[in-house]
Amino acid sequence: MALERQRPLAAAVGSLVLVAATLWPVARDPREDGFPLSTYPMFATARPTTLVMSYPLGETAHGNVALLPRLIGSPEVLQARAIVERAVAGGRNGMAQLCGRIAERVALEEQFRDVTGIRIVSGTHDAIEFLVRDQRGPERLLARCEVRR
Amino acid sequence: MNRLADWWFAPAPAERLAMLRIAIGLYALLWVVGRIPELHELAALPADHFRPVGVVRLVGGPLAPGLVVAIAAATAALLAAFVAGVAFRVVAPLAALGLLWTLTYRNAWGMVFHTENLLVMHVIALAVTPAADVWALGKRRDPAAAGYGWAIRLLIAIAAVTYVLAGVAKLRLAGADWLDGEFLRNQIAIDNLRKALLGDRVAALATLFLEQPAVLTLFCVLTLVVELGAPIALLGGRVGRVWAFGAWGFHLAVVLTMNIWFPYPLFGFAFLPLFPVERVGQWVIDRIRAIGSRLRS
Repeated sequence: MALERQRPLAAAVGSLVLVAATLWPVARDPREDGFPLSTYPMFATARPTTLVMSYPLGETAHGNVALLPRLIGSPEVLQARAIVERAVAGGRNGMAQLCGRIAERVALEEQFRDVTGIRIVSGTHDAIEFLVRDQRGPERLLARCEVRR
Repeated sequence: MNRLADWWFAPAPAERLAMLRIAIGLYALLWVVGRIPELHELAALPADHFRPVGVVRLVGGPLAPGLVVAIAAATAALLAAFVAGVAFRVVAPLAALGLLWTLTYRNAWGMVFHTENLLVMHVIALAVTPAADVWALGKRRDPAAAGYGWAIRLLIAIAAVTYVLAGVAKLRLAGADWLDGEFLRNQIAIDNLRKALLGDRVAALATLFLEQPAVLTLFCVLTLVVELGAPIALLGGRVGRVWAFGAWGFHLAVVLTMNIWFPYPLFGFAFLPLFPVERVGQWVIDRIRAIGSRLRS
């Protein structure tokens, strides 16, 4: 009988602990994210439509083309972006290493057989102009390497 | 207090909780197996890319790629046993711990995703419930003294809290301004631009909504209604299921406008505790029995 009473008590305590733990991030600054206990700040912050971002491009005889996140190092686009940012923060060496790794992956891709070089650039674009009116902003070259096959 | 306890512990079939263990466990298993190549690539990144979060803060630096993959493989094996319900009281906490570690490690490389949080919390919750009393391999167990309804309500409550937190974050960071649509329009624009620059697909309806920002105001209002209204899911029944469809619609809209996939809710797993899922399991068992008896005769 005593054991039967303890079991619902354990279930009630376990439930309270798990719900409270999931709710606990509400006590934090919403910008202080974590995993798996998150404040879920996605889509919540104000953003200007101008974006300054570094990214790799593939050089072809007909101009530069966008590559794929997995060729940068992760199939997740945000992770790929973080990889580029970290490499750029690492200066010339960091960018050269990343450029080399991307070039090695591109060399194995049939889809990108016309890509002869990789450029890591920093671009400044207005998101609405870019997406709605196809207007690209200026791009500055940060690093370049050959694709060897 | 008694009424609250009566409601929380209101009975539910053991088979429903068991089916949730099987479905959510199977999803977690497939998710971990599918992440292994990515985990290997991430683990091979230079150490300065490592930004530990959560339990991964316990280690001073990145682990060897082989060890990362070995932990993920062990987690997959434990999750397989979790699904089967084998030695559940021992296996389930270990599987939950393995999943927590593996997915936290994935989030420790500069970008914290929000696609796996609820999955991890659901598996942790299932691990402390009597989710393998039926439809499990091994010896048959006595019915749980506290019943099974509380465990299902716990899964719903955890899901509801995550949605409420997302709504609260919007109000705390942006206030009522978030409702005017401009915040969301800029989010859609910037997110899709990043995708375009990194070679990912731009969302199907992104440019349409960027040209018609007024529609986004309605979307913002509905988003906050779904997020802050999530606790109504705890009422269960038709009300809970209507909320689930609303939340699912929100995730669908996120795919169509930002090409951001939250597979756990999008494929319905996050909302399964709101449905009589045991009927699916029973249907499968009946089919297997029918085929078995046909083969024997």
